[in-house]
Amino acid sequence: MPSKTSSNVDAVRNWLLAKHPERTSIAPDEDLIGSRLVDSLSFVEFVLTVEEASGVEIDHEAIDLADFRTLEAIERKYF
Amino acid sequence: MISELISKDDRFQEILERLNRKSVEDYYNPYRMFDWPDSLPEHQWWMSPELTTTFGTDVAPELDREQLYRLSRYESINFYSLNVDGIRELIVEVTRRIHTRGFEIPSEFFHHFIGEENEHMWFFAEFCLRYGKKIYRQLEPAGQGNTWSDEAASFLVFVRILLFEELVDHFNSTMAADERLHDTIRAVNRIHHQDESRHIAFGRELVSLLFKDLQAKASEEELRRVREYLKRYLNYSFESLFNPQVYRDAGIPEPFAVRRRLLASPRSAEFQLQVFRKPLNYLIKTGILQDRELSLSRASVGQGEA
Repeated sequence: MPSKTSSNVDAVRNWLLAKHPERTSIAPDEDLIGSRLVDSLSFVEFVLTVEEASGVEIDHEAIDLADFRTLEAIERKYF
Repeated sequence: MISELISKDDRFQEILERLNRKSVEDYYNPYRMFDWPDSLPEHQWWMSPELTTTFGTDVAPELDREQLYRLSRYESINFYSLNVDGIRELIVEVTRRIHTRGFEIPSEFFHHFIGEENEHMWFFAEFCLRYGKKIYRQLEPAGQGNTWSDEAASFLVFVRILLFEELVDHFNSTMAADERLHDTIRAVNRIHHQDESRHIAFGRELVSLLFKDLQAKASEEELRRVREYLKRYLNYSFESLFNPQVYRDAGIPEPFAVRRRLLASPRSAEFQLQVFRKPLNYLIKTGILQDRELSLSRASVGQGEA
């Protein structure tokens, strides 16, 4: 995976914050799915956001939910 | 219990019998039904331009005629691919319910339904693989969902199936009649439209009954969550028409930015209302939805989830 600065994962965080105006921050290890920041109907948009921010083309048939569970995991896998 | 509602509803049973009969009478061999030329001409529309996602937006004037043709080609492959993925879900869910308690009466129709859907999936996949050399795999919704009551879960399954079929039918009926399109494209859309008119007629009746069952048992809070979920689902399924991979394949730069521009365009909101005109009328008439306001649901996450 290409290694980049964390500024890109900030784009993912900003997308989540824009969807949840009641929130002002998201910790890197917060469970995004458990806390419902991402739910089943927003998951597709969420993956597209990670894809755009990271520049990595994500194989839609090989998604491992664990790689999307926290901002930390996303950064590790895609940035 | 839904089986009681069904068994007391003569109208539903008459419609079911008529649809069962029609499925038998109209049965055809899909594997012999179509002419599949080796290739289709590239320099023409593969999808009615009015149904493409850039139509009427400020992105369209940035593309030349050849790019628009190419985009219509990949968007049509995306549309048939959506059918392949959508039918998979639908077959799985109906198979889960056939010959189980509550669904005794519609089970015979479910046999026709599953059989016909399998055949539709075949011809859509055949079109994609033959002329697009691929099937676009959709991202599957993942993550946690709320726990619904059994009534709400069954209602949501069949209303999702119905809305998916209605979305597809808007495209099928337009393309079947569009003389700018190749005969094979028109035939695939025409045949699907014919079969789906039966499925939609059935779906509307069943969903109305399931909603009555749900209304009788659900709390106001659960009904609110169901309605919120449905509106989000209408947005979710509409947005699946805007596939960044399609824009990439059509040679359009910055596919993600283009997708965002298109979804934010006033034309897309209009397009969505056109696509869902009939099902929205139905949802309002049956009291399933109380208004047509879809844009409000676009931003909210974590509400009315399934």
